[in-house]
Amino acid sequence: GLVQSCGHIIPESPVLALGSNFTALCILNESCLDFGNIYASQIIWKIKNKVVPKEQYREINRTVSSVTFNDTSSLATPLTCNVLADGQIEQNIYGISVTVGLPPEKPKNLSCIVYQVSKLTYPMKCTWNPGRHTFLDTHFRLKYRWSRESFPDCIPKYVNNSCTISDVQFFVNLEVWVEAANALGKAESDRLVFDPIEIVKPLPPHNLSVNSGILPTVLKLSWENRISAAVMKLKFNIRYRISSDTNWMQVPPEDIASPRTSFSIQGLRPYTEYVFSIRCMKEDGVGFWSDWSEEKVGVTTED
Amino acid sequence: LGAGQSIQKTYDLTRYLEHQLRTLAGTYLNYLGPPFNEPDFNPPRLARAERVPSATVDLDLWRGLTDNARLAANYRAYSRLLCYLRGLDGQVGAVELRHRLGHFCSSLQGLVLSIAGVMSSLGYPLPAGPAGPPLPPGSSAAPNDFLKKMDDFWLLKELQTWLWRSAKDFNRLKKKVPPAVVTLRLETRGF
Repeated sequence: GLVQSCGHIIPESPVLALGSNFTALCILNESCLDFGNIYASQIIWKIKNKVVPKEQYREINRTVSSVTFNDTSSLATPLTCNVLADGQIEQNIYGISVTVGLPPEKPKNLSCIVYQVSKLTYPMKCTWNPGRHTFLDTHFRLKYRWSRESFPDCIPKYVNNSCTISDVQFFVNLEVWVEAANALGKAESDRLVFDPIEIVKPLPPHNLSVNSGILPTVLKLSWENRISAAVMKLKFNIRYRISSDTNWMQVPPEDIASPRTSFSIQGLRPYTEYVFSIRCMKEDGVGFWSDWSEEKVGVTTED
Repeated sequence: LGAGQSIQKTYDLTRYLEHQLRTLAGTYLNYLGPPFNEPDFNPPRLARAERVPSATVDLDLWRGLTDNARLAANYRAYSRLLCYLRGLDGQVGAVELRHRLGHFCSSLQGLVLSIAGVMSSLGYPLPAGPAGPPLPPGSSAAPNDFLKKMDDFWLLKELQTWLWRSAKDFNRLKKKVPPAVVTLRLETRGF
């Protein structure tokens, strides 16, 4: 080009660990030495136009000067190599950007939940603690595999502490872990091994209906389950309250601890309006309770 | 996982696949259209359909199978069925159906791996290579659309029959292989 570069700095664009030490070299071109009467001894190092104390310089030879920082936390961009040429005009020879940060910490507290979203669709959301801020561009990947087959990584969008796998398979053990990586290193979380069927949060039953029977103290609650028995057998919680009251009462869990689509609640007050709600989970208690269903109102008959 | 546990899980997966296939097959046959989606459609099995491993077996023969032979037959069948199913998966126009086929293929892949896991936990070698003699070149592509749909029909039919048979296979194995005993025997032989 028109302007000939008189030197360069190595390393070019370093990424440095916070608190480590760092040395840079400014190497002058031989051609400039003769022409510009420039020598390494005349080099001045600057951080953002602030002169670096001379005690940190060292003249390696007549074309190379080094500068050393014991603690990179004082470093900033740009780090420049300059020289006082004839007539005391300071000339910039070269400059580099310096990035200072931390390697990623081991991601912790990895946990996953399979949220049922429809009769056939079961996305699995995993969350983790990403660890300290690294001041660097740090990428997280959720990795998962079967014993003899790997799947494409799940790459979080907009966040660094969770990822959702769109559709998981049941009844095959899955190994899951998180990998964090930036320019200074890589770290892996502990690995979880589980069958996704064991971490399901099912959809609550729906289409509730309440029917009064012959007895004025009994109401029959019916509903539709939204998860097939081939996937999992369910147990239930049923809660109910008098419409005008805020306190919920619960049907004893052991009475509804097996697959069903209806239950008759007894011991109710005659001629009274009740509100009912139901939730479900895997029969063996492994996994998570669904949310409570929509509420349904029913009235007992007169005595 | 102990052998008993992995057999139970494989059994659960088989039932789950049966459940998925029940609705998926119906949707797919509707996608193929008449006569394939008519309840009483019961075509003769053409020679072409022999490529798909048949689940039909003589009852006494089935009862007499060793555990190894029983597992190997399942492993070979699903390895082959999976290949055909993946061929199906690529051509389906309807996005939702293709998604469900893809999910089912992944589940079936899980079943192949689970069967392999059971076999290795019982100390059996995996059967090498696909079942049956290699096909003569050019014989796999159906000469016309109707025969292509016939291939798909028989593939789904065999798959349903295999899953029904496998549930019985794994149920039988479950009773024969209680978890604790197997682990003990493996340990005494220095595994």
